[in-house]
Amino acid sequence: MTLLDFARGPALQWSLIILVVGVMWRFTGTILLGRKEDLSKPRRNTEIRDGLATIFRRSLPEHQFEKKIRFQHAAGYTWHLALFIAVLFSAPHILFFESVLGFGWPHLPNGIILVTAAIALALLLALLIRRLSHPVQRLISNADDYISVVIVIIPLVTGILASAHIGARYETLLAIHFLSVEALFVWFPFGKLMHTALTFPARFRAGAEFGRRGVKA
Amino acid sequence: MNIDNAAFRDFRESLEHLGSDTPSEILSGEEQVRRAKQTFMDKLDGPMAVDLTTCVHCGMCAEACHYYEATQDEKYAPVRKFEPLRRFYRRELSPMRWLFRPFIRDVTAQDLEAWQELVYDACTGCGRCDMMCPMGVRLSPLINVMRQGLASAGLVPAELRALQIEQRDNDTVFGVGAGKLREVIDRLKQQGIEVPLDKSRAEVLILTTAVEVLLFSAALSATAKIMNRLDADWTISSQGFEAANLGLLSGDEATQRQAAARIVEQAKTCGAKTVILPESGHAYQAMRWEGANELGEALPFEVLAISEFIARELDAGRLPLSTATNGSSVTYHDPCRLGRHSGVIEQPRQVLKALGMEFREADSNGRENYCCGGGCAEYVIKRSAPLRQKAFEIKKREFDETGADVVVTSCANCRINLMIGAENGGWQTPIESLVERVAASLTE
Amino acid sequence: MRNDQTLGDYLLAQGVSRRGFLKFCSATASLMALPPSAVGQVAEALAAARRPSVIWLSFQECTGCTESLTRSHAPTVESLIFDAISLDYHHTLQAASGEGAEAARIAAMQESAGEYLLVVDGAIPLGNPAYSCIAGVSNLEMLKETAANAAAVIAVGTCAAFGGIPHASPNPTGAVAVSDIITDKPIINVSGCPPIPVVITGVLAHYLIFGTIPELDALGRPAAFFGQNIHDRCYRRPFYERGQFAHTFDDEGARKGWCLYELGCKGPTTYNACATLKWNEGTSYPIGSGHGCLGCSEPDFWDKGGFYRPIAAGLWGSHEALLGAAAAGAAIGVGSALAARARKKKALAEEETAS
Repeated sequence: MTLLDFARGPALQWSLIILVVGVMWRFTGTILLGRKEDLSKPRRNTEIRDGLATIFRRSLPEHQFEKKIRFQHAAGYTWHLALFIAVLFSAPHILFFESVLGFGWPHLPNGIILVTAAIALALLLALLIRRLSHPVQRLISNADDYISVVIVIIPLVTGILASAHIGARYETLLAIHFLSVEALFVWFPFGKLMHTALTFPARFRAGAEFGRRGVKA
Repeated sequence: MNIDNAAFRDFRESLEHLGSDTPSEILSGEEQVRRAKQTFMDKLDGPMAVDLTTCVHCGMCAEACHYYEATQDEKYAPVRKFEPLRRFYRRELSPMRWLFRPFIRDVTAQDLEAWQELVYDACTGCGRCDMMCPMGVRLSPLINVMRQGLASAGLVPAELRALQIEQRDNDTVFGVGAGKLREVIDRLKQQGIEVPLDKSRAEVLILTTAVEVLLFSAALSATAKIMNRLDADWTISSQGFEAANLGLLSGDEATQRQAAARIVEQAKTCGAKTVILPESGHAYQAMRWEGANELGEALPFEVLAISEFIARELDAGRLPLSTATNGSSVTYHDPCRLGRHSGVIEQPRQVLKALGMEFREADSNGRENYCCGGGCAEYVIKRSAPLRQKAFEIKKREFDETGADVVVTSCANCRINLMIGAENGGWQTPIESLVERVAASLTE
Repeated sequence: MRNDQTLGDYLLAQGVSRRGFLKFCSATASLMALPPSAVGQVAEALAAARRPSVIWLSFQECTGCTESLTRSHAPTVESLIFDAISLDYHHTLQAASGEGAEAARIAAMQESAGEYLLVVDGAIPLGNPAYSCIAGVSNLEMLKETAANAAAVIAVGTCAAFGGIPHASPNPTGAVAVSDIITDKPIINVSGCPPIPVVITGVLAHYLIFGTIPELDALGRPAAFFGQNIHDRCYRRPFYERGQFAHTFDDEGARKGWCLYELGCKGPTTYNACATLKWNEGTSYPIGSGHGCLGCSEPDFWDKGGFYRPIAAGLWGSHEALLGAAAAGAAIGVGSALAARARKKKALAEEETAS
């Protein structure tokens, strides 16, 4: 079995299983810890609408807050968007999704994907440098933070190298890219990458709790 | 409108001695940890679990915190303030605790002691960080749990502990009991202001607070004037008039429950349909949102802040106000626990505008306002004075930028804290009470 | 039967002019990436070369490799080179049969001991010798016996080089490659299903000229022919770069000759000379005909998920397994939450009894 066969076969199988088991385990186990009923009288009964509104609104902070976090805010959302474009709309990726999900969708030109991947990578590196140098982030960051960012950076790097055919024979580059994504899958449930799932219930609850008190969150 | 400067000086003097002879509970390190963990175990719930897990350590919460802004000291980053709680959750209640335990340090007595400063001196529970967090984490409830854990472990700062013990044992705060209340009420009566004390039945139960009785009796008198002008069926109970809740402020839940229960009992006794909280942020929060949950049953009455009540009466046309004396410009300081935490944001503004004052918003207002920096009884903690003074500079700058003649607020503790900051910083702009302004503008 | 005639004399006898011979030597030299100055050396060596004895053993094979080599529409000098060797044993091409054929093989082995070239096509079954026998002798036995005194072994075709089609999952006969059995002789793997004819003769020419085996890659294949992948020399590469792909065999992209990556082309991971030398004397190659490369010169090319499964696709994607994993994860998660709730309750109860 070549490295590429391993990466596309057993490594994919087990990393996906670990990803799915782990995410479901951690998500359900976190949100189901229980909540006491709030016996105070709410100002209004629009909990679901307030919760959903905050899910969207929290991405657009008020000016007083936004002016303090401009760089992180802009860089953060931009790299996420760029990564999603590169992951979801690259032709080889769509072929991969098709093989797992059973369906695909139209792709974007390779040049655009390369540019978005490069943007995501550059911003991630910039934010990593910030994390290492800004006093607040340096103080509050732990191993999880560093592992999580590096484990996202590596697939971007290996993907760019594989797509541009730089650094080794193509089958090796592709195998390494597969394996780097599989490493991300395996890490995903155990680190802070879980925020992808958990930020939604968190924002919802913030919206609902402040909403019942008549405050826009 | 004027406060007794002598009284203010005396009050500040008494603060100097607060807590100096409070017996501290000497607990062993293990016992401290055990008790704190007990509290953490009890208080952690699903939403907190989600919040603790979804934090991505971006540090934006620091950019919302006035203590960090004032000092640029990273140790004040809000997310750090509940770090021991996070570790406890991961080790004891998180779904993958068996996998995480070997990698996560346990909570120690040293942690608890080191966190006292972060959680009491450097946090007022203002909730500004709650609004900032891009993940939707609510940090102030988590920091409150930290306080409750530290309180269980006997680690409340001495001054705050002194007040909490006083309320627990005597049901008084700053020594203000039924006796002092009666004194003030008699004084008001001599000025022609009737305060119906201890009526057996009343529709409305009015509360006051020690700081009003000692320093801002004009606010109490103003409240009485307004209630009388409305011909309301109201009373104050000498057995349950104290709105301040030192249990909430210190983290001692038993005291929090006790203080709330006392008020509810009196309301039930006189059959009040409405309980009105005086000018205080935390007191409103303690009754309006936490009261029912502390007592385990829905409150049998409506809870209103005095500014809320006044706005409602204005809307109904029952409170005619004269705008004659109010040509000055005003800006409003939102008490955090009344505004951001409780939704009483528009009403004070509505009232000030109805007074005919030229209203000017500070840059950060409403749900984004900056905390006064020490209102929630933090101003009693002596060692936090330099930190509070630095935080005050933020408020001063914002107030100055409005160019307003007067700063009005609706919280006695915010008012004291701002006055302390103004006095220390040589700042001249008067800091006034909303209720007093309203009463002064009542038409005959 | 070994002949003492040199290759130069033989070609002359066949009517190949000196000019024609030199043209072939230039072509051969460039094929093997030799500099122009080497042409003279090539000519001299080839002219003086003795016709070596070559024994060709065919095992689990389809005869496609022989067909590829011998299918010429016009006589080429390559085929003359092939003719120029003394092919002393070949099932399809030899005149003799039965005992006579085997006798010829044994005679050649004895006469040219240590000097003859052994060419093998087809895989060797280890499961049961009866799966493939020649004259009652198992492939395994015949290979070992014949290789013992060979100068070198050329494994022609993917079956001999890597196991090929018989080796494909589930490999019911236990088929293996030549290199899995012979470990003490130099082996040149000329893979491909079939290999390009000129690659086979190019290897032979190299041996004739230099008396050595050419530089090999990590899989034992001549680097001169297997050193680059199809993708890097494919004329449709610009479409790959731009992201223009055929999605089906008859859509707009297919008609316009766009890249066949989405239709399973294995070009990027396949190393062969198809894109440059092409087939049928330079006519075309699979991609040029609108079908993706099968990867036929690579080991296990039958077991890479299918000819139409793109390289970027995974080799696994079971919906049932993933749904089962989700259910299992949720169950564990719910269990852990219930256990945590119980812990909280228990702690609260303990506290209440204590106080």
